[in-house]
Amino acid sequence: MKPRNTVIQEQDSARIREILTHFLRESSAAEALLIDRGGQLVAMEGAAPALDAVSISALAAAAFSSTAAMAQLLGEPEFSVLFHEGSKRSMHVSTVDEDAILLAIFDERTTVGMVRLFAAEASRSVGVVLGEARARPKPSAEFAAPLNDAESRVAWTPPS
Amino acid sequence: MSVINYANRVIDFKIVYYGPGMAGKTANLHYIHRCLPNANRGNMISLATGDDRTIYFDFLPVSALTVRGFQTRFQLYTVPGQVQYNATRRLVLRGADGLVFVADSQFDRLRENVESFRNLEANLREYDSTLDEIPYVLQYNKRDLPNLAPVTYLEFVLNRRATRVPCFEASAIGGQGVFDTLNTVSRMALASEFGVGREKRDEAS
Repeated sequence: MKPRNTVIQEQDSARIREILTHFLRESSAAEALLIDRGGQLVAMEGAAPALDAVSISALAAAAFSSTAAMAQLLGEPEFSVLFHEGSKRSMHVSTVDEDAILLAIFDERTTVGMVRLFAAEASRSVGVVLGEARARPKPSAEFAAPLNDAESRVAWTPPS
Repeated sequence: MSVINYANRVIDFKIVYYGPGMAGKTANLHYIHRCLPNANRGNMISLATGDDRTIYFDFLPVSALTVRGFQTRFQLYTVPGQVQYNATRRLVLRGADGLVFVADSQFDRLRENVESFRNLEANLREYDSTLDEIPYVLQYNKRDLPNLAPVTYLEFVLNRRATRVPCFEASAIGGQGVFDTLNTVSRMALASEFGVGREKRDEAS
């Protein structure tokens, strides 16, 4: 299936933030990341400042895609959950929809069972928001006109 | 595909470097990582074997200009070039907004280039996509080595689709052509979000 573009409007962002905040409160997980299956970070809540969320998003999407491919080799449509247990922090990744996954990072203050329980609920709610966002006509204000020369100038300069 | 976020005014793009094994995809990212200031790039991640062959992908996030109030960010990936890693190659390709096909310019690597290009087209078909829908450029790498195929010949072999695309001679290990390639594919991906480029892509999807 062709991956779809994601346009998150401010109202979508507020709703996603509310859902993820509720999820963190109920599950006692430390951080929640909503990630596009292509590896792009869509939203995050509760993230510690030192967390390299961009890299974690790329790696988690790749790991989840790998397990999905393995599932298909076993005749399963997908493994819906991926869980990595660490000595201090653990990671739980679950399906939101065909284009997104939800990653939760948690420690000894909660259990994988609690995270799994509330992640399923949060995933359904976030999936609704993303579905509505994708179904909405694309915004035209900033994107209607082609880029002019100044806007499409060279982005990076090699060292001289 | 791109993620446009109005809340934090950011557009994220995914650029994938594709090509046969040992063509220099990872060398491109290493050079970019080495040259960009910390403010413009994140950490580079390489999932490689013990002998430095890419087993899954390399990843380097870079940030660029602000366009119409949106900060633009590009996430650069490489695929594993070795033939046996096609399953992971296809996974990395998912959601690409722009592609760089890195070809090895040596004469004795022409067959691998052609096979890899065909493999790229086949893997895009798995996502119901084609090269007509995704901006891409060609990079003829390793121009510092002997036994080179002329660029005209490489063009004849690899740049023969209905619409010819930009191509660059490169020696990624020393940096020649690396930023020309990156800037062009980034600009093409960015332009595809705006105006006519965007309309065309929407029609295609």
